[in-house]
Amino acid sequence: MKATNEQTVLERAKQALNDEFLRNAVKLTTEKLKNGRLSAAKQLGNWEEWRERARQIRQHTIAHLDYYLNQFADQARKQGVHVHFAKDGKEAVEIAIRIAISKQAQTVVKSKSMVSEEIHMNEALEQNGIESVETDLGEYIIQLAGEMPSHIIIPAIHKNRKQIAELLSRDANETLAPDTAVLAGYVRKKLREKFLAADIGMTGCNFAIAETGSIVLFENEGNARMVSTLPKTQITLMGMERIVPTWDDLEVMATMLPRSATGQRLTVYMSGITGPRRPDDGDGPEEMHVIILDNGRSLQLGDPEFQELLHCIRCGACLNACPVYRHIGGHSYGSTYSGPIGAVLKPALNKNVLEWDDVANASSLCGACYEACPVKIPLHDMLVYLRRRKNEAGAGLCSEKWMMKGFKVVMAKPHRLRAVLKAGRLGQMPLVRDGAISAHLGPLKGWTAYRRFPALAKPSFRERWPHLQAELKEKARRASVKEHVQLRLKQIREKRTKKTGGNRDE
Amino acid sequence: MNEQEQAQRQFIVNISQRLGRPMPKTPPEHPFRGAPPFWKEHTRAIAADPARMIAQFIECWQQAGGEAKSFPSLDGLRTFIVDTATEMKARAFIRHRHPLLDELKLEEELSESDWTVWDGQRPEEMKNKANAADIGVIVADYAVSATGTIVTMSSADKGRSVSLLPPMLIAIVPASCIRSSLGEVMSQISAIGMERMPAGIHFISGPSRSADIENDLTIGVHGPGIVYALIFEDR
Amino acid sequence: MKVSIMITCLADAIYPKVGEAMARILARYGIEADFPQLQTCCGQPAFNSGYWDEARASALTMLEAFQESDFVVTPSGSCAGMIHHYYLKLFESDEARYRQAEELIDKTYEFSRFLVHVMGVTDVGAHFPHKVTYHPSCHGSRLLGVKDEPLKLLEHVRGLELIPLPYAEDCCGFGGTFSVKMSDISGAMVSEKVDHVLETKAEVLVGIDLGCLMNIAGHLRHRGQSLRVMHLAELLDEGMGVTA
Ligand code: SF4
Repeated sequence: MKATNEQTVLERAKQALNDEFLRNAVKLTTEKLKNGRLSAAKQLGNWEEWRERARQIRQHTIAHLDYYLNQFADQARKQGVHVHFAKDGKEAVEIAIRIAISKQAQTVVKSKSMVSEEIHMNEALEQNGIESVETDLGEYIIQLAGEMPSHIIIPAIHKNRKQIAELLSRDANETLAPDTAVLAGYVRKKLREKFLAADIGMTGCNFAIAETGSIVLFENEGNARMVSTLPKTQITLMGMERIVPTWDDLEVMATMLPRSATGQRLTVYMSGITGPRRPDDGDGPEEMHVIILDNGRSLQLGDPEFQELLHCIRCGACLNACPVYRHIGGHSYGSTYSGPIGAVLKPALNKNVLEWDDVANASSLCGACYEACPVKIPLHDMLVYLRRRKNEAGAGLCSEKWMMKGFKVVMAKPHRLRAVLKAGRLGQMPLVRDGAISAHLGPLKGWTAYRRFPALAKPSFRERWPHLQAELKEKARRASVKEHVQLRLKQIREKRTKKTGGNRDE
Repeated sequence: MNEQEQAQRQFIVNISQRLGRPMPKTPPEHPFRGAPPFWKEHTRAIAADPARMIAQFIECWQQAGGEAKSFPSLDGLRTFIVDTATEMKARAFIRHRHPLLDELKLEEELSESDWTVWDGQRPEEMKNKANAADIGVIVADYAVSATGTIVTMSSADKGRSVSLLPPMLIAIVPASCIRSSLGEVMSQISAIGMERMPAGIHFISGPSRSADIENDLTIGVHGPGIVYALIFEDR
Repeated sequence: MKVSIMITCLADAIYPKVGEAMARILARYGIEADFPQLQTCCGQPAFNSGYWDEARASALTMLEAFQESDFVVTPSGSCAGMIHHYYLKLFESDEARYRQAEELIDKTYEFSRFLVHVMGVTDVGAHFPHKVTYHPSCHGSRLLGVKDEPLKLLEHVRGLELIPLPYAEDCCGFGGTFSVKMSDISGAMVSEKVDHVLETKAEVLVGIDLGCLMNIAGHLRHRGQSLRVMHLAELLDEGMGVTA
């Protein structure tokens, strides 16, 4: 199933909801990753303190991003790195192509990079006649299928073994058994040749360390190491917010990222790469380029509602925690980044709320993403901010706008609410059966397709109150335990007025 | 100022503007640097007990799917490697150039096999040798007990390919190199200084793996699928 | 001491019995709650849809209705969460209103939290001999941090067998207007929730948020299931009636 851009989230979601394999695969995988995260957090202990520290470091770094990014670039240059800056995807692609052409490159081997997906690097390389090979097992599979990743951590989550066997068999020109070891073995052999022969290795960048100008890659397969060890030229694509100030800070990120992503203590490989090979080294790239990308990121800086988006460490935990993602999968979001982070990142990076479709509406605002996020990004709040901005820009749904106008008129005055409830009771009469409505009508159509809607009560609480009051008075008078409770209430109220206690959660 | 530096300036100025202030000239106050204090205390306590660190390292390494064992003498270590290599029918080896490996004299014990010692010369040949080897042998620069990790830093004598290309890796871990937390290794790295920073610092925590096909864990996808961490109790 | 009921629009219009149950429980402890008539809705439906002016108009009635109250108790974790987490943001540019909002936050409690933390009650002396499972609503548990209180209250009910709900913390798919705008996704979510509820073989599903309960009950009925769905206050009140 290939997602197309003309469809809305709703339409894409509908397809996904009807694809039983997809639903199950996504559900099982995210479940496993989620449980991995939970048990890793428990095993580590003090998870909330770690989370807070990770948030503090990210906040500090982004608040001083100019200083640290500058420091990173200076230090990397001292280590012999060519550091490039690109304000958008087009510029980044141009820089990379220019390097590739100057090296007369025929083949580029790539390790996983969300930035590369974001700026459509593969298409650009192919257009210039340069073969571009994804080497992460999952990425290789979806590249063969001509699709987008549907999960930050497990890009081919939506493909089953049989489909993968078919894709790889076609690639191999022979029939491969749908057996994980066989399929992975084939890819190992095939890609090993590519690694050895490629002219350029292209990597993403999980973190960049300002103090030494190093880039850091987290991975499990070893392909990122191959890509950064064997080809003569290395190009690293890096989002401008990937910085951490020091190696000490990397300890915190290394503690949070793998645990949040897959539940591992650490990924199998974590590589800190500082410049090209030294003069007497026998391997490693002879030339190293880092391309630092803005592409809408700087628009979040100084925006109190969205700056925290740049704290994201791309762990995917919010996807695994999200009940909506679990039901509809990554492709329904229609962009490189999916799940809760994608739903916010896509419209925010483009800063074009008008163009953005209903993706921010695809959330019940349950807050599971925030709870899972290792750097505490309040994604559920940001979704609300997006909705507000869309309305402020005058792009809200017309029907909804009128409904909300009505809401304001009614809710601003209690007597109007009372009158509306009365009228509603009359209006619903023909629809109510056994105290519920199941007719598929008007705005409730979507609701009643899956549920019965309860009828308005008669009388409402408001109307009933005068009668209730007498009963309550009598009950309260007869109560036997009241002194103790009254005393507690008094103490708590006093504490509050003295500002020593209160009822805030944070 | 060259073109790249010009671009950098523009880029950074834009960020400062968005942040609504000029770029700080001096390093910003960074009160939250590194791990939280309770963690440093916790790992310091573990570091005081070498036997505990060894046990923790072995447990973590094994949990990740690697083999680990501790040896009080070089002889025991040598015998184990020779036996294992023989059992695996390994014929081609590549190793780092390291005094401890010189002392082990594995080449003499396994003289039937093809041995290559990485020395930074003849890069193409070295690359092919590493690719053809059955087993890569290295000495770890550090190990981390909390995560079950070995650390290897590249140099002329320590090619990155040795721990990466062969299907099997044997890493000898001197017990004196084991640290209790990642943070302790990180501060060592910080202290190296810009002039002497190695190009590649690799933290390895088990066999290469992937769960990309239907969540089914498979090992040895690109890097070594069989990994031995052999601790030599040198203290 | 002035303890006021914040009824919420759902309980007012559709589930007045929940408000009554809550008021009766308080009365049994000598608390004669009042009901300020000025209140309407906390504003959440408009707020979450991004209509903040509209939300503010509604929220204003709350600031005014409860000015004189010492405590405000509400049978909804979600509405209490709305006040606790978003009122300051909603009124950030109006100093006087902002201060009122701060005061309201300090005195507003979700029902079970009020019982446990303010009144100091975990055993209301109720008797309810049924198998019960509990759905923790997202806003109550995540936004507001109400996690243990309802369980503590349920644990002390005589005869009640509490069966853990599998995947309890998963959202039921309500999400206010989400359930209408994204009805297919929401429908899939509630259907999964109901599967888990039925798995427990409980006779009663209990919760602290009427939005979620309405959603789950609606789907149960849609599937022809008759399992009872109750607000925690109703269950306790009914159980207390037995012993009183
Ligand atoms: S938003 Fe948080 S949870 Fe989601 S990918 Fe980013 S860091 Fe991970």
